[in-house]
Amino acid sequence: MDLRGKPELQQHLAAEFALGTLRGRARQRFRRFMAEDPVLAAAAQDWELRLAPIVASVAPVQPPARVWRAIQERIGGAPLQADGIWGNLSFWRNLGLAASGMAAGLLAAIVFITPQAPSPAPAPVVVRVPSNEMGATYLAVLSDPKTQKPMLVVSAGRSSSELWVKTLDPAIHVPDRSLELWALPPGQAPRSLGVIAPSEKMTALKLVAAADQAFAEIPALAVSLEPAGGSPTGAPTGPVLYTGPFLKYW
Amino acid sequence: MGADPLVALLAACAQRDRAAFEQLYRQTSAKLFGVALRIVRQEDLAEEVLQDCYIRIWNRAGDYREGLAAPMTWMASIVRNRSLDWLRRANPEVIDVDGEIIERAASDVEGPLAALERLQDGAALARCLGELEAKQRQAILLAFHDGLSHSELAKQLREPLGTVKTWVRRGLAKLKACLGARAEA
Repeated sequence: MDLRGKPELQQHLAAEFALGTLRGRARQRFRRFMAEDPVLAAAAQDWELRLAPIVASVAPVQPPARVWRAIQERIGGAPLQADGIWGNLSFWRNLGLAASGMAAGLLAAIVFITPQAPSPAPAPVVVRVPSNEMGATYLAVLSDPKTQKPMLVVSAGRSSSELWVKTLDPAIHVPDRSLELWALPPGQAPRSLGVIAPSEKMTALKLVAAADQAFAEIPALAVSLEPAGGSPTGAPTGPVLYTGPFLKYW
Repeated sequence: MGADPLVALLAACAQRDRAAFEQLYRQTSAKLFGVALRIVRQEDLAEEVLQDCYIRIWNRAGDYREGLAAPMTWMASIVRNRSLDWLRRANPEVIDVDGEIIERAASDVEGPLAALERLQDGAALARCLGELEAKQRQAILLAFHDGLSHSELAKQLREPLGTVKTWVRRGLAKLKACLGARAEA
């Protein structure tokens, strides 16, 4: 079929494409014509927009919650632009404030952590914190803000110069990207604590000073998704995946 | 034009505002799922279509032009386009054993026009659809709502294929003339 020099046929096919009566191979063929002919593509889009208001009479149907979850997962990897929340200082301030408020509730949460239920009847996972063996420790459980599912446990002995990161779910690592841990000092830019090793369940990060000096004023931690090897700028560039309050456990 | 809150949400989505995107989803997904479901007729397929379309909407929010169409119209056109593509792939048999499609269409003939008239970009379309012959209108609305092909339309309406094709073609031509005349008036 040759559409050149046949504006009426072009218009008619554009209308049938938009209506949906142009089907199967004919629909595919028309798509190829549109790819080569912007005028034809515009005519089809014009018809689509003309007819689309008819959906006003279609009864709405609530989609299942899994659709939104899947959409979120699919857009999760897309980097935020500079004007996203990373550029917004009040986001960090609020996060810090919220984190200190959450502190009391979190202690209980550390003892009984019920992960997102896989079907069917899930047994609650009990994380025992042997406080008599643990000593004075800075402690954080970082969770996914949407699902509330705990993903990482971060701890450092009060006088230690090492920070331990335990990955609760190895599936959090993204190929060719790195997860970077950040301290969130109130009202200031996030400070990098290092990149979490993808292959290890436990990562030790070297601190520039003893924990007591480094963390006394840090109410919260966060993990962002970064290019492989960590943020190239020294400031977070990707989306915040996990956050949690940072507590003094003594 | 009255301020449609969806315009601001789409603009925020173009700036990668996830909270706005979630709002947009909450406010529009039930209608768009209804649209997809009615065309592809299988819940799992309609869910796939909806997912794909919202990813597209997220990625293309910056392409939306307020002067061209209302946000819902723009999003619905994306969902219909995608649903029709899936129809080709899945090729589900249209079975209307109990005459459900025809019944629904019969009630649609009044329904859609009344609902359309309330929309800022639907009133002219409603008037122009109202000017079509009843058979032309029924064929076009059936094809639109249920994603029926010419041969499926012929089967549903129990009319020869050629007759149904002519109704659709003449109906669309009249519609274009009517909408064009109003746009120029």
